[in-house]
Amino acid sequence: MNNFQQTARVGLFFILGLALTWVTFETLRGGKVFKDQGYNLIAGFTTLKELKDGDEVRMAGVKIGEVERTRLAGRRAEAVLRIDHRVRIKSDAAATIVMAGLIGTNYISIDLGTDAAPDLPDGAEIKTQATADLNSVMSQIGDLGKKLETAIGDLSGALSGGKDGKTGIIAKVDLLITENRENIGKATANLQEITAKVNKGEGTLGRLINDPKLHDELVTTLDEIKKGAGEAKNFIANAQKIVDQVKAGQGAIGALVFDQKAGEDVKASIANLRAVSDKIARGEGTLGKLLSDESLFRDAQSIMKKADRALDGLDDTGPITAVGVVYQGLF
Amino acid sequence: MRQLNNILEGFGSTVLLLFRSIGYLPTLPRQFGRFIEQCYLIGYTTLPIVAILSFFIGSVLALQAGYSMQNFGAKQFIGSLVGLSMARELGPVMVAILLTGRVGSAITAELASMKVYQEVDALQTMNIPPVRMLVMPRLVAAVVMVPVLAIIANLVGWFGGAIISKYTHFIAIDPPAYFSALRRFMEFKDILNGLIKAEVFGVGVILVCCNIGLNTRGGPREIGASVTRAVVTSLILILVLDYFVTKALM
Repeated sequence: MNNFQQTARVGLFFILGLALTWVTFETLRGGKVFKDQGYNLIAGFTTLKELKDGDEVRMAGVKIGEVERTRLAGRRAEAVLRIDHRVRIKSDAAATIVMAGLIGTNYISIDLGTDAAPDLPDGAEIKTQATADLNSVMSQIGDLGKKLETAIGDLSGALSGGKDGKTGIIAKVDLLITENRENIGKATANLQEITAKVNKGEGTLGRLINDPKLHDELVTTLDEIKKGAGEAKNFIANAQKIVDQVKAGQGAIGALVFDQKAGEDVKASIANLRAVSDKIARGEGTLGKLLSDESLFRDAQSIMKKADRALDGLDDTGPITAVGVVYQGLF
Repeated sequence: MRQLNNILEGFGSTVLLLFRSIGYLPTLPRQFGRFIEQCYLIGYTTLPIVAILSFFIGSVLALQAGYSMQNFGAKQFIGSLVGLSMARELGPVMVAILLTGRVGSAITAELASMKVYQEVDALQTMNIPPVRMLVMPRLVAAVVMVPVLAIIANLVGWFGGAIISKYTHFIAIDPPAYFSALRRFMEFKDILNGLIKAEVFGVGVILVCCNIGLNTRGGPREIGASVTRAVVTSLILILVLDYFVTKALM
Protein backbone atom coordinates (compact mmCIF):
# COMPACT_ATOMS: atom_id res chain seq x y z
CA MET A 1 0.00 0.00 0.00
CA ASN A 2 1.49 3.32 -0.98
CA ASN A 3 1.90 6.13 1.46
CA PHE A 4 -0.73 8.38 -0.15
CA GLN A 5 -3.49 5.80 0.13
CA GLN A 6 -2.63 5.16 3.76
CA THR A 7 -2.73 8.86 4.56
CA ALA A 8 -6.05 9.28 2.77
CA ARG A 9 -7.61 6.44 4.72
CA VAL A 10 -6.36 7.80 8.02
CA GLY A 11 -7.65 11.26 7.07
CA LEU A 12 -11.02 9.85 6.11
CA PHE A 13 -11.19 7.89 9.32
CA PHE A 14 -10.35 10.94 11.40
CA ILE A 15 -12.94 13.08 9.60
CA LEU A 16 -15.50 10.33 10.15
CA GLY A 17 -14.71 10.40 13.86
CA LEU A 18 -15.08 14.17 14.02
CA ALA A 19 -18.35 14.05 12.10
CA LEU A 20 -19.80 11.39 14.36
CA THR A 21 -18.75 13.33 17.44
CA TRP A 22 -20.44 16.44 16.09
CA VAL A 23 -23.62 14.56 15.20
CA THR A 24 -23.76 13.03 18.67
CA PHE A 25 -23.11 16.38 20.27
CA GLU A 26 -25.87 18.11 18.32
CA THR A 27 -28.33 15.29 18.90
CA LEU A 28 -27.78 15.05 22.62
CA ARG A 29 -27.69 18.79 23.12
CA GLY A 30 -31.34 18.84 22.14
CA GLY A 31 -30.92 20.44 18.78
CA LYS A 32 -31.06 18.76 15.44
CA VAL A 33 -28.22 18.30 13.05
CA PHE A 34 -29.86 20.64 10.63
CA LYS A 35 -31.65 23.33 12.59
CA ASP A 36 -35.27 23.67 11.66
CA GLN A 37 -36.87 27.05 11.24
CA GLY A 38 -38.62 27.21 14.55
CA TYR A 39 -39.29 30.10 16.89
CA ASN A 40 -38.63 30.63 20.57
CA LEU A 41 -41.01 31.22 23.44
CA ILE A 42 -40.15 32.01 27.03
CA ALA A 43 -41.90 30.14 29.84
CA GLY A 44 -41.29 31.43 33.36
CA PHE A 45 -41.88 29.21 36.40
CA THR A 46 -41.12 29.43 40.10
CA THR A 47 -39.35 26.11 39.74
CA LEU A 48 -38.47 24.03 36.70
CA LYS A 49 -38.39 20.84 38.78
CA GLU A 50 -36.61 18.13 36.78
CA LEU A 51 -36.90 19.93 33.44
CA LYS A 52 -33.68 20.02 31.48
CA ASP A 53 -32.36 21.06 28.09
CA GLY A 54 -33.66 18.91 25.29
CA ASP A 55 -36.86 17.85 27.04
CA GLU A 56 -39.96 17.75 24.87
CA VAL A 57 -42.62 20.41 24.44
CA ARG A 58 -46.01 18.90 23.64
CA MET A 59 -49.34 20.34 22.65
CA ALA A 60 -52.27 18.03 23.36
CA GLY A 61 -49.76 15.20 23.65
CA VAL A 62 -48.13 15.84 20.28
CA LYS A 63 -44.47 16.85 20.25
CA ILE A 64 -44.13 20.37 18.86
CA GLY A 65 -40.70 21.37 20.07
CA GLU A 66 -38.03 21.13 22.72
CA VAL A 67 -36.63 22.98 25.68
CA GLU A 68 -33.70 24.81 24.12
CA ARG A 69 -32.21 25.90 27.43
CA THR A 70 -33.07 26.65 31.01
CA ARG A 71 -31.90 29.66 32.97
CA LEU A 72 -32.44 31.69 36.09
CA ALA A 73 -33.98 35.10 35.50
CA GLY A 74 -34.15 37.11 38.71
CA ARG A 75 -36.51 35.47 41.15
CA ARG A 76 -37.80 32.86 38.74
CA ALA A 77 -36.60 30.16 36.41
CA GLU A 78 -37.12 30.40 32.66
CA ALA A 79 -37.28 27.73 30.02
CA VAL A 80 -36.61 28.82 26.45
CA LEU A 81 -38.81 26.71 24.22
CA ARG A 82 -37.99 26.02 20.59
CA ILE A 83 -41.31 25.50 18.80
CA ASP A 84 -41.79 24.02 15.34
CA HIS A 85 -42.48 26.80 12.85
CA ARG A 86 -45.56 24.96 11.55
CA VAL A 87 -47.27 25.16 14.93
CA ARG A 88 -48.79 28.42 16.07
CA ILE A 89 -49.46 28.90 19.76
CA LYS A 90 -52.32 31.11 20.90
CA SER A 91 -51.68 33.89 23.38
CA ASP A 92 -54.14 32.45 25.90
CA ALA A 93 -52.54 28.97 25.83
CA ALA A 94 -50.85 28.03 29.11
CA ALA A 95 -47.72 25.94 29.64
CA THR A 96 -47.31 23.50 32.51
CA ILE A 97 -44.48 21.20 33.53
CA VAL A 98 -45.82 17.66 33.40
CA MET A 99 -44.20 14.60 34.85
CA ALA A 100 -44.00 11.78 32.31
CA GLY A 101 -42.70 9.12 34.65
CA LEU A 102 -41.99 8.44 38.28
CA ILE A 103 -38.27 8.60 37.79
CA GLY A 104 -38.07 12.26 37.01
CA THR A 105 -38.87 12.61 33.33
CA ASN A 106 -40.61 15.89 32.62
CA TYR A 107 -41.93 17.72 29.61
CA ILE A 108 -43.72 20.97 28.98
CA SER A 109 -47.35 20.66 28.03
CA ILE A 110 -49.06 23.55 26.25
CA ASP A 111 -52.84 23.62 25.89
CA LEU A 112 -54.60 24.55 22.67
CA GLY A 113 -55.93 27.95 23.73
CA THR A 114 -58.87 29.52 21.91
CA ASP A 115 -59.22 30.19 18.21
CA ALA A 116 -60.05 33.84 18.73
CA ALA A 117 -56.78 34.63 20.54
CA PRO A 118 -53.86 35.97 18.48
CA ASP A 119 -50.73 33.87 17.81
CA LEU A 120 -47.66 34.32 19.99
CA PRO A 121 -44.74 35.87 18.10
CA ASP A 122 -41.10 34.78 18.28
CA GLY A 123 -39.54 35.56 21.66
CA ALA A 124 -42.88 36.14 23.39
CA GLU A 125 -43.63 34.93 26.88
CA ILE A 126 -46.21 32.21 27.23
CA LYS A 127 -48.58 32.01 30.21
CA THR A 128 -47.67 29.32 32.71
CA GLN A 129 -49.45 27.38 35.41
CA ALA A 130 -47.80 25.79 38.40
CA THR A 131 -48.57 22.15 39.06
CA ALA A 132 -48.11 20.07 42.17
CA ASP A 133 -45.04 17.93 41.98
CA LEU A 134 -44.61 14.45 43.37
CA ASN A 135 -42.71 15.68 46.40
CA SER A 136 -45.52 17.97 47.56
CA VAL A 137 -48.07 15.21 46.95
CA MET A 138 -45.95 12.78 48.94
CA SER A 139 -45.62 15.37 51.70
CA GLN A 140 -49.41 15.75 51.84
CA ILE A 141 -49.80 11.98 51.95
CA GLY A 142 -47.32 11.95 54.83
CA ASP A 143 -49.40 14.55 56.72
CA LEU A 144 -52.52 12.53 56.03
CA GLY A 145 -50.80 9.42 57.37
CA LYS A 146 -49.89 11.27 60.57
CA LYS A 147 -53.48 12.44 61.03
CA LEU A 148 -54.75 8.94 60.39
CA GLU A 149 -52.29 7.59 62.89
CA THR A 150 -53.47 10.12 65.48
CA ALA A 151 -57.12 9.28 64.80
CA ILE A 152 -56.48 5.56 65.11
CA GLY A 153 -54.51 6.21 68.31
CA ASP A 154 -57.43 8.21 69.74
CA LEU A 155 -59.88 5.47 68.78
CA SER A 156 -57.63 2.85 70.26
CA GLY A 157 -57.32 4.95 73.43
CA ALA A 158 -61.08 5.34 73.65
CA LEU A 159 -61.55 1.61 73.25
CA SER A 160 -58.81 0.42 75.53
CA GLY A 161 -58.72 3.34 77.97
CA GLY A 162 -55.75 4.83 79.77
CA LYS A 163 -52.80 3.06 81.24
CA ASP A 164 -54.92 1.59 84.04
CA GLY A 165 -57.25 0.16 81.39
CA LYS A 166 -60.35 1.06 83.43
CA THR A 167 -61.72 4.00 81.45
CA GLY A 168 -61.93 2.43 78.00
CA ILE A 169 -65.14 1.39 76.29
CA ILE A 170 -64.07 -2.24 76.19
CA ALA A 171 -63.29 -2.16 79.92
CA LYS A 172 -66.68 -0.58 80.64
CA VAL A 173 -68.52 -3.15 78.56
CA ASP A 174 -66.57 -5.87 80.28
CA LEU A 175 -67.49 -4.45 83.69
CA LEU A 176 -71.15 -4.17 82.68
CA ILE A 177 -71.22 -7.79 81.59
CA THR A 178 -69.42 -8.96 84.71
CA GLU A 179 -71.74 -7.09 87.04
CA ASN A 180 -74.90 -8.19 85.30
CA ARG A 181 -73.84 -11.69 84.49
CA GLU A 182 -76.67 -13.21 86.59
CA ASN A 183 -79.37 -10.96 85.07
CA ILE A 184 -78.10 -11.57 81.58
CA GLY A 185 -78.13 -15.29 82.29
CA LYS A 186 -81.73 -15.12 83.52
CA ALA A 187 -82.81 -12.98 80.60
CA THR A 188 -81.20 -15.41 78.22
CA ALA A 189 -82.91 -18.35 79.95
CA ASN A 190 -86.28 -16.58 79.76
CA LEU A 191 -85.74 -15.80 76.14
CA GLN A 192 -84.87 -19.42 75.51
CA GLU A 193 -88.02 -20.57 77.32
CA ILE A 194 -90.18 -18.18 75.33
CA THR A 195 -88.70 -19.23 72.04
CA ALA A 196 -89.16 -22.89 73.03
CA LYS A 197 -92.84 -22.26 73.72
CA VAL A 198 -93.27 -20.38 70.50
CA ASN A 199 -91.59 -23.21 68.70
CA LYS A 200 -93.93 -25.74 70.26
CA GLY A 201 -96.99 -23.69 69.30
CA GLU A 202 -97.91 -22.66 72.81
CA GLY A 203 -99.44 -19.26 73.61
CA THR A 204 -100.82 -16.69 71.18
CA LEU A 205 -97.56 -16.01 69.42
CA GLY A 206 -96.78 -19.72 69.19
CA ARG A 207 -100.15 -20.53 67.70
CA LEU A 208 -99.95 -17.59 65.40
CA ILE A 209 -96.68 -18.90 64.08
CA ASN A 210 -97.50 -22.61 64.10
CA ASP A 211 -101.31 -22.80 63.49
CA PRO A 212 -102.15 -22.43 59.79
CA LYS A 213 -105.88 -21.79 60.52
CA LEU A 214 -105.08 -18.83 62.73
CA HIS A 215 -102.77 -17.63 60.09
CA ASP A 216 -105.48 -17.84 57.44
CA GLU A 217 -107.91 -15.98 59.65
CA LEU A 218 -105.37 -13.34 60.33
CA VAL A 219 -104.75 -13.00 56.62
CA THR A 220 -108.51 -12.74 55.95
CA THR A 221 -108.90 -10.14 58.69
CA LEU A 222 -106.05 -8.21 57.29
CA ASP A 223 -107.65 -8.39 53.83
CA GLU A 224 -110.91 -7.04 55.21
CA ILE A 225 -109.11 -4.31 57.05
CA LYS A 226 -107.35 -3.52 53.82
CA LYS A 227 -110.64 -3.45 51.94
CA GLY A 228 -112.25 -1.25 54.63
CA ALA A 229 -109.27 1.03 54.47
CA GLY A 230 -109.71 1.23 50.69
CA GLU A 231 -113.35 2.15 51.03
CA ALA A 232 -112.53 4.69 53.73
CA LYS A 233 -109.98 6.08 51.37
CA ASN A 234 -112.58 6.42 48.62
CA PHE A 235 -115.00 8.01 51.06
CA ILE A 236 -112.40 10.47 52.21
CA ALA A 237 -111.52 11.17 48.60
CA ASN A 238 -115.17 11.90 47.79
CA ALA A 239 -115.52 14.04 50.90
CA GLN A 240 -112.41 15.84 49.93
CA LYS A 241 -113.84 16.39 46.47
CA ILE A 242 -117.02 17.83 47.94
CA VAL A 243 -115.04 20.03 50.30
CA ASP A 244 -112.97 21.17 47.32
CA GLN A 245 -116.15 22.00 45.39
CA VAL A 246 -117.55 23.80 48.40
CA LYS A 247 -114.29 25.69 48.73
CA ALA A 248 -114.46 26.52 45.05
CA GLY A 249 -117.90 28.01 45.69
CA GLN A 250 -119.61 25.40 43.56
CA GLY A 251 -123.11 24.06 44.48
CA ALA A 252 -125.61 25.38 46.95
CA ILE A 253 -123.50 24.93 50.08
CA GLY A 254 -120.55 26.41 48.35
CA ALA A 255 -122.53 29.41 47.31
CA LEU A 256 -123.99 29.65 50.78
CA VAL A 257 -120.62 29.49 52.48
CA PHE A 258 -118.44 31.44 50.12
CA ASP A 259 -120.85 33.76 48.19
CA GLN A 260 -121.19 37.01 50.16
CA LYS A 261 -124.39 38.06 48.42
CA ALA A 262 -126.08 34.71 48.95
CA GLY A 263 -125.19 34.87 52.65
CA GLU A 264 -126.67 38.31 52.96
CA ASP A 265 -129.80 37.15 51.12
CA VAL A 266 -130.17 34.22 53.50
CA LYS A 267 -129.66 36.55 56.46
CA ALA A 268 -132.31 38.94 55.10
CA SER A 269 -134.69 36.02 54.42
CA ILE A 270 -134.29 34.76 57.98
CA ALA A 271 -134.92 38.29 59.29
CA ASN A 272 -138.08 38.52 57.13
CA LEU A 273 -139.20 35.08 58.29
CA ARG A 274 -138.72 36.15 61.88
CA ALA A 275 -140.75 39.33 61.29
CA VAL A 276 -143.53 37.30 59.66
CA SER A 277 -143.58 34.73 62.45
CA ASP A 278 -143.66 37.55 65.02
CA LYS A 279 -146.69 39.04 63.26
CA ILE A 280 -148.35 35.68 63.09
CA ALA A 281 -147.70 35.19 66.79
CA ARG A 282 -149.22 38.58 67.56
CA GLY A 283 -152.27 37.67 65.44
CA GLU A 284 -151.58 40.32 62.90
CA GLY A 285 -152.42 39.79 59.23
CA THR A 286 -154.56 37.13 57.61
CA LEU A 287 -152.49 34.17 58.71
CA GLY A 288 -152.21 35.53 62.26
CA LYS A 289 -155.91 36.02 62.47
CA LEU A 290 -156.48 32.63 60.98
CA LEU A 291 -154.43 31.13 63.73
CA SER A 292 -155.52 33.26 66.68
CA ASP A 293 -159.16 34.37 65.91
CA GLU A 294 -161.66 31.59 66.78
CA SER A 295 -164.59 33.37 65.08
CA LEU A 296 -162.83 32.96 61.82
CA PHE A 297 -162.64 29.22 62.50
CA ARG A 298 -166.33 29.13 63.30
CA ASP A 299 -167.17 31.08 60.15
CA ALA A 300 -165.12 28.72 58.12
CA GLN A 301 -166.83 25.76 59.76
CA SER A 302 -170.30 27.16 58.92
CA ILE A 303 -169.16 27.82 55.36
CA MET A 304 -167.97 24.29 55.07
CA LYS A 305 -171.31 23.04 56.34
CA LYS A 306 -173.16 25.21 53.88
CA ALA A 307 -170.93 24.02 51.12
CA ASP A 308 -171.65 20.48 52.07
CA ARG A 309 -175.35 21.09 51.88
CA ALA A 310 -175.00 22.85 48.60
CA LEU A 311 -173.16 19.93 47.16
CA ASP A 312 -175.93 17.63 48.30
CA GLY A 313 -178.47 19.87 46.51
CA LEU A 314 -176.33 19.97 43.49
CA ASP A 315 -176.54 16.21 43.24
CA ASP A 316 -180.32 16.56 43.11
CA THR A 317 -180.76 19.52 40.71
CA GLY A 318 -178.12 18.57 38.27
CA PRO A 319 -175.35 20.50 36.74
CA ILE A 320 -177.51 23.32 35.38
CA THR A 321 -178.42 24.67 38.73
CA ALA A 322 -175.13 23.82 40.31
CA VAL A 323 -173.81 27.37 39.92
CA GLY A 324 -176.92 28.82 41.37
CA VAL A 325 -176.90 26.44 44.31
CA VAL A 326 -173.29 27.27 45.05
CA TYR A 327 -174.10 30.92 44.83
CA GLN A 328 -176.99 30.63 47.17
CA GLY A 329 -175.22 28.42 49.55
CA LEU A 330 -172.32 30.80 49.81
CA PHE A 331 -174.15 34.16 49.86
CA MET B 1 9.38 -7.19 47.88
CA ARG B 2 11.03 -7.88 44.57
CA GLN B 3 7.63 -7.98 42.89
CA LEU B 4 6.77 -4.65 44.43
CA ASN B 5 10.04 -3.22 43.26
CA ASN B 6 9.31 -4.48 39.76
CA ILE B 7 5.87 -2.86 39.80
CA LEU B 8 7.25 0.46 41.02
CA GLU B 9 10.07 0.29 38.51
CA GLY B 10 7.62 -0.39 35.71
CA PHE B 11 5.36 2.43 36.84
CA GLY B 12 8.22 4.91 37.12
CA SER B 13 9.72 4.02 33.75
CA THR B 14 6.28 4.34 32.10
CA VAL B 15 5.79 7.83 33.55
CA LEU B 16 9.28 8.81 32.42
CA LEU B 17 8.51 7.46 28.97
CA LEU B 18 5.43 9.66 28.84
CA PHE B 19 7.39 12.78 29.71
CA ARG B 20 10.17 11.95 27.27
CA SER B 21 7.62 11.43 24.53
CA ILE B 22 5.99 14.75 25.29
CA GLY B 23 9.44 16.29 25.11
CA TYR B 24 9.89 14.96 21.59
CA LEU B 25 6.52 16.29 20.38
CA PRO B 26 8.09 19.14 18.41
CA THR B 27 9.72 16.57 16.14
CA LEU B 28 6.33 15.22 15.06
CA PRO B 29 6.12 17.09 11.72
CA ARG B 30 9.39 15.50 10.64
CA GLN B 31 7.95 12.08 11.44
CA PHE B 32 4.57 12.67 9.87
CA GLY B 33 4.84 9.57 7.70
CA ARG B 34 5.50 7.41 10.69
CA PHE B 35 2.64 9.05 12.56
CA ILE B 36 0.21 8.35 9.71
CA GLU B 37 1.36 4.76 9.57
CA GLN B 38 0.65 4.33 13.27
CA CYS B 39 -2.71 6.07 12.89
CA TYR B 40 -3.56 3.61 10.16
CA LEU B 41 -2.59 0.66 12.34
CA ILE B 42 -4.20 1.91 15.53
CA GLY B 43 -7.34 3.43 14.01
CA TYR B 44 -8.24 2.22 10.54
CA THR B 45 -7.27 -1.44 10.88
CA THR B 46 -8.83 -1.73 14.35
CA LEU B 47 -12.15 -0.31 13.21
CA PRO B 48 -13.77 -3.54 11.90
CA ILE B 49 -13.18 -5.51 15.07
CA VAL B 50 -14.28 -2.55 17.21
CA ALA B 51 -17.46 -2.22 15.17
CA ILE B 52 -18.31 -5.91 15.32
CA LEU B 53 -17.62 -6.17 19.03
CA SER B 54 -19.51 -2.97 19.88
CA PHE B 55 -22.53 -4.05 17.84
CA PHE B 56 -22.81 -7.28 19.78
CA ILE B 57 -22.10 -5.65 23.12
CA GLY B 58 -24.92 -3.17 22.48
CA SER B 59 -27.19 -6.02 21.39
CA VAL B 60 -26.44 -8.13 24.43
CA LEU B 61 -26.96 -5.14 26.72
CA ALA B 62 -30.38 -4.50 25.18
CA LEU B 63 -31.26 -8.18 25.37
CA GLN B 64 -30.25 -8.55 28.99
CA ALA B 65 -31.86 -5.28 29.98
CA GLY B 66 -35.08 -6.19 28.17
CA TYR B 67 -35.15 -9.62 29.76
CA SER B 68 -34.64 -8.17 33.23
CA MET B 69 -36.86 -5.14 32.84
CA GLN B 70 -39.87 -6.81 31.23
CA ASN B 71 -40.92 -8.06 34.66
CA PHE B 72 -41.39 -4.60 36.09
CA GLY B 73 -42.47 -2.62 33.04
CA ALA B 74 -39.34 -0.55 32.51
CA LYS B 75 -38.64 -1.70 28.96
CA GLN B 76 -38.95 1.80 27.59
CA PHE B 77 -35.75 2.71 29.41
CA ILE B 78 -33.62 0.19 27.52
CA GLY B 79 -32.42 2.96 25.22
CA SER B 80 -31.18 4.98 28.16
CA LEU B 81 -29.50 1.98 29.74
CA VAL B 82 -27.72 0.88 26.56
CA GLY B 83 -26.81 4.46 25.65
CA LEU B 84 -25.33 5.36 29.00
CA SER B 85 -23.59 2.02 29.49
CA MET B 86 -21.98 2.17 26.06
CA ALA B 87 -20.98 5.81 26.26
CA ARG B 88 -19.71 5.94 29.81
CA GLU B 89 -18.26 2.51 30.31
CA LEU B 90 -18.35 -0.26 27.76
CA GLY B 91 -17.39 1.73 24.67
CA PRO B 92 -14.11 3.11 26.08
CA VAL B 93 -13.23 -0.08 27.96
CA MET B 94 -13.87 -2.34 24.97
CA VAL B 95 -11.86 -0.07 22.68
CA ALA B 96 -8.98 -0.10 25.15
CA ILE B 97 -9.10 -3.89 25.48
CA LEU B 98 -9.16 -4.34 21.71
CA LEU B 99 -6.35 -1.85 21.40
CA THR B 100 -4.37 -3.91 23.87
CA GLY B 101 -5.05 -7.16 22.09
CA ARG B 102 -4.60 -6.00 18.56
CA VAL B 103 -2.20 -3.06 18.67
CA GLY B 104 -0.52 -3.17 22.09
CA SER B 105 0.65 -6.75 21.66
CA ALA B 106 2.00 -5.96 18.19
CA ILE B 107 3.85 -2.90 19.49
CA THR B 108 5.41 -4.89 22.34
CA ALA B 109 6.40 -7.70 19.99
CA GLU B 110 7.94 -5.25 17.53
CA LEU B 111 9.84 -3.22 20.09
CA ALA B 112 10.91 -6.33 22.05
CA SER B 113 12.29 -7.94 18.91
CA MET B 114 14.06 -4.67 18.00
CA LYS B 115 15.52 -4.64 21.48
CA VAL B 116 16.48 -8.31 21.42
CA TYR B 117 18.04 -7.98 17.98
CA GLN B 118 19.87 -4.83 19.08
CA GLU B 119 18.16 -2.51 16.62
CA VAL B 120 17.34 -0.18 19.51
CA ASP B 121 21.00 -0.18 20.50
CA ALA B 122 21.89 0.62 16.90
CA LEU B 123 19.54 3.62 16.96
CA GLN B 124 21.14 4.85 20.14
CA THR B 125 24.56 4.38 18.61
CA MET B 126 23.42 6.58 15.70
CA ASN B 127 22.27 9.15 18.27
CA ILE B 128 18.65 8.63 17.40
CA PRO B 129 16.61 8.46 20.59
CA PRO B 130 14.42 5.34 20.35
CA VAL B 131 11.61 7.09 22.23
CA ARG B 132 11.44 9.85 19.63
CA MET B 133 11.22 7.45 16.73
CA LEU B 134 9.41 4.44 18.20
CA VAL B 135 7.19 5.72 21.04
CA MET B 136 6.17 9.32 20.37
CA PRO B 137 4.46 8.75 16.96
CA ARG B 138 2.55 5.79 18.38
CA LEU B 139 1.45 7.79 21.41
CA VAL B 140 0.23 10.72 19.33
CA ALA B 141 -1.49 8.35 16.91
CA ALA B 142 -3.27 6.73 19.86
CA VAL B 143 -4.29 10.13 21.21
CA VAL B 144 -5.81 11.03 17.87
CA MET B 145 -7.38 7.70 16.94
CA VAL B 146 -8.72 6.21 20.16
CA PRO B 147 -11.50 8.80 20.64
CA VAL B 148 -12.58 8.20 17.05
CA LEU B 149 -12.74 4.47 17.72
CA ALA B 150 -14.64 5.13 20.93
CA ILE B 151 -17.31 7.32 19.32
CA ILE B 152 -17.77 4.77 16.54
CA ALA B 153 -18.03 2.02 19.17
CA ASN B 154 -20.71 4.02 20.99
CA LEU B 155 -22.81 4.63 17.90
CA VAL B 156 -22.52 1.07 16.60
CA GLY B 157 -23.40 -0.26 20.06
CA TRP B 158 -26.48 2.00 20.20
CA PHE B 159 -27.64 0.80 16.81
CA GLY B 160 -27.04 -2.81 17.83
CA GLY B 161 -29.24 -2.26 20.85
CA ALA B 162 -31.90 -0.56 18.74
CA ILE B 163 -32.04 -3.43 16.25
CA ILE B 164 -32.27 -6.06 18.96
CA SER B 165 -34.92 -4.02 20.82
CA LYS B 166 -37.06 -3.92 17.70
CA TYR B 167 -36.75 -7.53 16.60
CA THR B 168 -36.81 -9.33 19.95
CA HIS B 169 -40.38 -10.40 20.63
CA PHE B 170 -40.36 -9.78 24.37
CA ILE B 171 -38.87 -6.30 24.00
CA ALA B 172 -40.43 -4.97 20.76
CA ILE B 173 -39.49 -1.31 21.12
CA ASP B 174 -39.31 0.73 17.93
CA PRO B 175 -36.09 2.64 17.18
CA PRO B 176 -37.73 6.09 17.60
CA ALA B 177 -38.86 5.18 21.13
CA TYR B 178 -35.46 3.61 21.84
CA PHE B 179 -33.53 6.68 20.73
CA SER B 180 -35.98 9.00 22.42
CA ALA B 181 -35.32 7.24 25.74
CA LEU B 182 -31.61 7.33 24.98
CA ARG B 183 -31.66 11.05 24.39
CA ARG B 184 -33.89 11.75 27.35
CA PHE B 185 -31.35 10.57 29.90
CA MET B 186 -28.13 11.35 28.10
CA GLU B 187 -26.15 14.48 27.75
CA PHE B 188 -23.10 15.20 25.70
CA LYS B 189 -21.00 15.23 28.84
CA ASP B 190 -21.64 11.48 29.12
CA ILE B 191 -20.08 11.03 25.69
CA LEU B 192 -17.26 13.37 26.59
CA ASN B 193 -16.71 11.42 29.77
CA GLY B 194 -16.34 8.22 27.74
CA LEU B 195 -14.00 9.87 25.25
CA ILE B 196 -11.74 11.15 28.01
CA LYS B 197 -11.66 7.68 29.51
CA ALA B 198 -10.82 6.15 26.15
CA GLU B 199 -8.05 8.67 25.70
CA VAL B 200 -6.55 7.88 29.10
CA PHE B 201 -6.78 4.13 28.45
CA GLY B 202 -5.29 4.48 24.97
CA VAL B 203 -2.30 6.50 26.19
CA GLY B 204 -1.83 4.10 29.13
CA VAL B 205 -1.94 0.99 26.96
CA ILE B 206 0.49 2.36 24.37
CA LEU B 207 2.88 3.58 27.05
CA VAL B 208 2.81 0.26 28.94
CA CYS B 209 3.27 -1.79 25.77
CA CYS B 210 6.10 0.42 24.51
CA ASN B 211 7.78 0.43 27.90
CA ILE B 212 7.66 -3.35 28.29
CA GLY B 213 8.82 -3.82 24.73
CA LEU B 214 11.77 -1.45 25.14
CA ASN B 215 12.74 -3.01 28.46
CA THR B 216 12.89 -6.56 27.14
CA ARG B 217 16.08 -8.33 28.15
CA GLY B 218 17.49 -11.64 26.94
CA GLY B 219 16.86 -13.69 23.84
CA PRO B 220 13.93 -14.26 21.43
CA ARG B 221 12.01 -16.22 24.03
CA GLU B 222 11.66 -13.05 26.03
CA ILE B 223 9.68 -11.48 23.21
CA GLY B 224 6.70 -13.75 23.88
CA ALA B 225 7.01 -13.23 27.61
CA SER B 226 7.10 -9.48 27.12
CA VAL B 227 4.00 -9.57 24.95
CA THR B 228 2.14 -11.61 27.56
CA ARG B 229 3.28 -9.29 30.31
CA ALA B 230 2.34 -6.23 28.31
CA VAL B 231 -1.17 -7.50 27.60
CA VAL B 232 -1.82 -8.59 31.18
CA THR B 233 -0.43 -5.35 32.60
CA SER B 234 -2.45 -3.29 30.14
CA LEU B 235 -5.70 -5.09 31.03
CA ILE B 236 -5.11 -4.58 34.72
CA LEU B 237 -4.16 -0.98 34.13
CA ILE B 238 -7.33 -0.38 32.11
CA LEU B 239 -9.62 -1.63 34.86
CA VAL B 240 -7.72 0.13 37.66
CA LEU B 241 -7.61 3.37 35.72
CA ASP B 242 -11.27 2.91 34.87
CA TYR B 243 -12.24 3.16 38.49
CA PHE B 244 -10.14 6.22 39.21
CA VAL B 245 -11.03 8.07 36.03
CA THR B 246 -14.73 7.35 36.53
CA LYS B 247 -14.49 8.61 40.08
CA ALA B 248 -12.59 11.69 38.99
CA LEU B 249 -15.06 12.55 36.23
CA MET B 250 -18.19 12.21 38.38
